[in-house]
Amino acid sequence: MSPIQKIFPFVIGIFLLTFNFSCFAHGVDSNTENFLTSTQGSAIGPFLYIGAKHMVTGYDHLLFLIGVIFFLFRVRDILIYVSLFTLGHSLTLLLGVFGHINMNVYLIDAIIAFSIIYKGFDNLGGLKKIFGFQPNTKIAVLFFGLFHGFGLATKLQDFSLPQDHLITNMLAFNVGVEIGQCISLLFIVTLLGFWRRHSSYLSFSSSANTLLMTGGFVLLGYQLTGYFNTSL
Amino acid sequence: MNTIPQPSTGSLVLSFVFSIILASIILVIAVLPAEYNIDPTGLGEKMGLTVLAKVVDTTAKANIVDCSDVDALSNKSVSQWNNTVSITIPAHKGLEYKFYIDKGEAFEFVWKTNGTKLYFDFHGEPQGDTTGYFKSFKESTDNQSSGTLSVPFTGSHGWYWENKSNQAVVVNLKTRGSYRILGLR
Repeated sequence: MSPIQKIFPFVIGIFLLTFNFSCFAHGVDSNTENFLTSTQGSAIGPFLYIGAKHMVTGYDHLLFLIGVIFFLFRVRDILIYVSLFTLGHSLTLLLGVFGHINMNVYLIDAIIAFSIIYKGFDNLGGLKKIFGFQPNTKIAVLFFGLFHGFGLATKLQDFSLPQDHLITNMLAFNVGVEIGQCISLLFIVTLLGFWRRHSSYLSFSSSANTLLMTGGFVLLGYQLTGYFNTSL
Repeated sequence: MNTIPQPSTGSLVLSFVFSIILASIILVIAVLPAEYNIDPTGLGEKMGLTVLAKVVDTTAKANIVDCSDVDALSNKSVSQWNNTVSITIPAHKGLEYKFYIDKGEAFEFVWKTNGTKLYFDFHGEPQGDTTGYFKSFKESTDNQSSGTLSVPFTGSHGWYWENKSNQAVVVNLKTRGSYRILGLR
């Protein structure tokens, strides 16, 4: 057995134990929302958990990550790109919450949806073909990471968090996000790893990235409708 | 990144158009009816998806109707309140006062402190729920609050007050409606 095959049941086990499938919805669910609005003082454990849960159940972040690592075959490359993404969203998460930068949640989620479409199109080779050049993929992942972080910050600020122990709670949330990202990545990399051994990976890569774009367009339509629906 | 296939412009356009069309279909027949009750094809209604969006509407209606003038309300109907209770909240402590109310009842209330503002969470817990779920109707910091709650589900409803000051605070609570007092928790 390869290391990946050995680790696979373990990853599934952790996933099943840690996360309840019934709450597979994005955003912050009502239980979490109640906790967030009623909590006073520092609560490192719960914020770690909320951060991790947000990432593991956050299909927009996950779709983007799938897009980013789709053509990364070396562990080193995956680490570099994921670190850049982490750097980007951590910066804006902390900056957004401390600076009280509150963007429209629909618009920021629409930009996040656009990042998925962008990455899918990039993976199809579309940027190079249509526009003649491909923006540096490392800078792109950092750039979109910044928007993903604003999304996290905006959602958290909707709950008017208590100002005392804000730093502790925010850092706990941020660390939780990274833990959740690691868990999700273990999953994604493992599954993609299986698929990559088959010749179907490259021949189906176009279909896979077209579907990735489809997911991005669905989210884009969903968020923009929400934006125009609520502001009317 | 050398492994990225070099596609033809035709296949790119095809991928792009296909993803937009598929996304539009998913949005129009499923996402928009379920999320926003926007249902141009009527398929969302047939599949029962619009129910999901309507649920959101009813919970939104369950919000409290705030009365801007507390005194006018309490003076006008002072004799009609079913119950009046004074609750003392010790310094740096929080406590809950609850009522058991059936779904659909109109629960009228007004409460005031002697001036000190309290953090409060007006919320309800469904009967028989063991998961610790609760729904907040209003969460704020103030020295008074009043209104009518159209009760969204059967269960225990009431306030959590937290006194962050150095002195005990007395809350004077008046209520009206069809309910059973559960009292301090």
